[in-house]
Amino acid sequence: MIAPEAAGLKLSLRPPYRPQALSISLNHAGIALLTALGVLGIVAYVIKLITAWGDRAEWAYPTVVLMFILSTATAAPLIAYASRMAKGYWALPLRRVAALYAVPSLLSFVLLIPIMASLPPLDGRSTLWFEFRAGAPFLTDALALAILLLTGMALLWFSAVPDLAGPPSRVRAMGRWQRLLYLNWAGTARQWKVLKAANLTLGAFYLMGYAFVHMLLTTDLGQSLLPGWRSGIFPVYSAVTGIQAGIAITLLTAALMRRFSPEAGRFVGDEQASALGKILVAATLMWFYFFWSDFLLIWYARLPSEVAAMQVTVAITYILPFALTGVLMFALPLALLIFNRVRQSLSLIAGVSAMIVVGLLFDRIRFFVAPMANPSPFGHAMTELPAPYWPNALDVLFVIGFIGLMIAVFVYAASRIPVLNGWEMRQGAMLRKERTFMKTHVFVIGKPD
Amino acid sequence: MAMQTQAKRELLALYEEPDQAADAVERLHGAGFEDNDIEILSSTPYPEGAFGEGHTKHRLFAFPFAGAACGMAVGIAWIVGAQVSLPIITGGKPVVAVPAIIQILYEGTLLGAVLFTVLGVLFESRLPDGVGLYDDRISEGYIGISVMARERRLPDAQIALEEASPIDLLSKEGSLMHAPGTT
Repeated sequence: MIAPEAAGLKLSLRPPYRPQALSISLNHAGIALLTALGVLGIVAYVIKLITAWGDRAEWAYPTVVLMFILSTATAAPLIAYASRMAKGYWALPLRRVAALYAVPSLLSFVLLIPIMASLPPLDGRSTLWFEFRAGAPFLTDALALAILLLTGMALLWFSAVPDLAGPPSRVRAMGRWQRLLYLNWAGTARQWKVLKAANLTLGAFYLMGYAFVHMLLTTDLGQSLLPGWRSGIFPVYSAVTGIQAGIAITLLTAALMRRFSPEAGRFVGDEQASALGKILVAATLMWFYFFWSDFLLIWYARLPSEVAAMQVTVAITYILPFALTGVLMFALPLALLIFNRVRQSLSLIAGVSAMIVVGLLFDRIRFFVAPMANPSPFGHAMTELPAPYWPNALDVLFVIGFIGLMIAVFVYAASRIPVLNGWEMRQGAMLRKERTFMKTHVFVIGKPD
Repeated sequence: MAMQTQAKRELLALYEEPDQAADAVERLHGAGFEDNDIEILSSTPYPEGAFGEGHTKHRLFAFPFAGAACGMAVGIAWIVGAQVSLPIITGGKPVVAVPAIIQILYEGTLLGAVLFTVLGVLFESRLPDGVGLYDDRISEGYIGISVMARERRLPDAQIALEEASPIDLLSKEGSLMHAPGTT
């Protein structure tokens, strides 16, 4: 049995344990580095805006970053929802960490606008939108992403209100709108019930929005720009590998939290690694399942236009990113995660998670650079395979800087909102007790609602 | 005078232990107070019914349905308006064909459902009518039992709350037990 961290079982209800936000300082080398990377990301973005507005190829690597954010930060809050839905108490110390990724997810919208503005007209190329032109794809995709981001922020905020509101006298002293924002929090039984119902309802909508956004963007920024690429499996592949990377980034954050934040880190340990590790193995196997399902159909059907598209993303043009993806997202993680020792150790599984996150970046390169850089997206088949479009210096700075910015925004959010969900952890401590059973110890867990 | 006896007033008792709070709720029930008159306040969510209180009702689940219906209607108006204003017949398909509009309907429905859910949370989080007493010790882990009672029933409520050994008992005028640090 992998026991939970002792600190999590001994939380005080009176006075109630109140988690604190991270204390950050620019004097810390890591924070200074993140800030520098964040500034670099903003500068690279502004340069792209000024020099490359409407130039689709120039926005190929920013598209990679967009899809990277949507497959890591935007996927992470699903862990909070899934563990609430399944009443997984092991995830209590990770729910806020996962939900906090809704904040850096907002960066995806900043990227989406110039990327959508660079897309060619829909006429004459494959599209998800048929003859519909009233706002598609710009307005439709932006709206879909906005719904997803709004849902993520609502999930984060509502679940954080009991930890942020403070004593009732503080809430009542607030102005009308601020008080509304804090849900007029007093801790009544009805407010608790509404809060829990809201977490589940909005979580379900978040999952629906996540799958929908992946379907739209993988089509509008991928398949519809590379003639011959027609896959019903690719949007699902994108969403599922996003969940794989979302789990990985949450585990990575948990390991860093344990290393650098003694206050929050004492609640995180091998219990979380063991539970999320099992799901990570399943997600890693799903990588291969969806890749193979997609590949086998095209290999067997041998339609020249589809084979050409597969040669671009897998076999010829972007074979190097594909090989790196296969090794980093599937072969190595699977070879390591089958060992209990790796799966049940937070520090070891964090190493595997880092591989998966890096592999995901290469995965998004092989899928989205070719379509965005393709000079002739019209028609139903490519006449010749495009040459690989490798990044220039600005692209490299953009990718590094913007991913750094994503992490910096997360850290900043964690310095404003506690990284632990105090009220859920207190409830978990109340409902989970270690008891002696014959000659051993077991956990008795109450799951009342 | 008759109006005064009809008006409801609030009492708030603070308890150190959940068992004491549950005892207070039981005594209030025994004294004839309904679930609607009793409110439980805590800094940690307790399982529903832990204090012997009745099922707490809310209507949050109605909001997403209403929102989804509104959002779908907007989606239909958007797509049908666009298709009818530029009626191009593609491959012999109808001008308004379901496969071509399903994404917009999904998007509109989801948008409406999310927005109404957020509004629903704000609406449903309001304090029950009449609940006005509070004490910062609730956020320090004490459990508050609030009861709304008509003037003539206040003594019954006070007795029930006091029998469960509160650390303090508050009315609008202040502490009825003269404990320090009360509002």
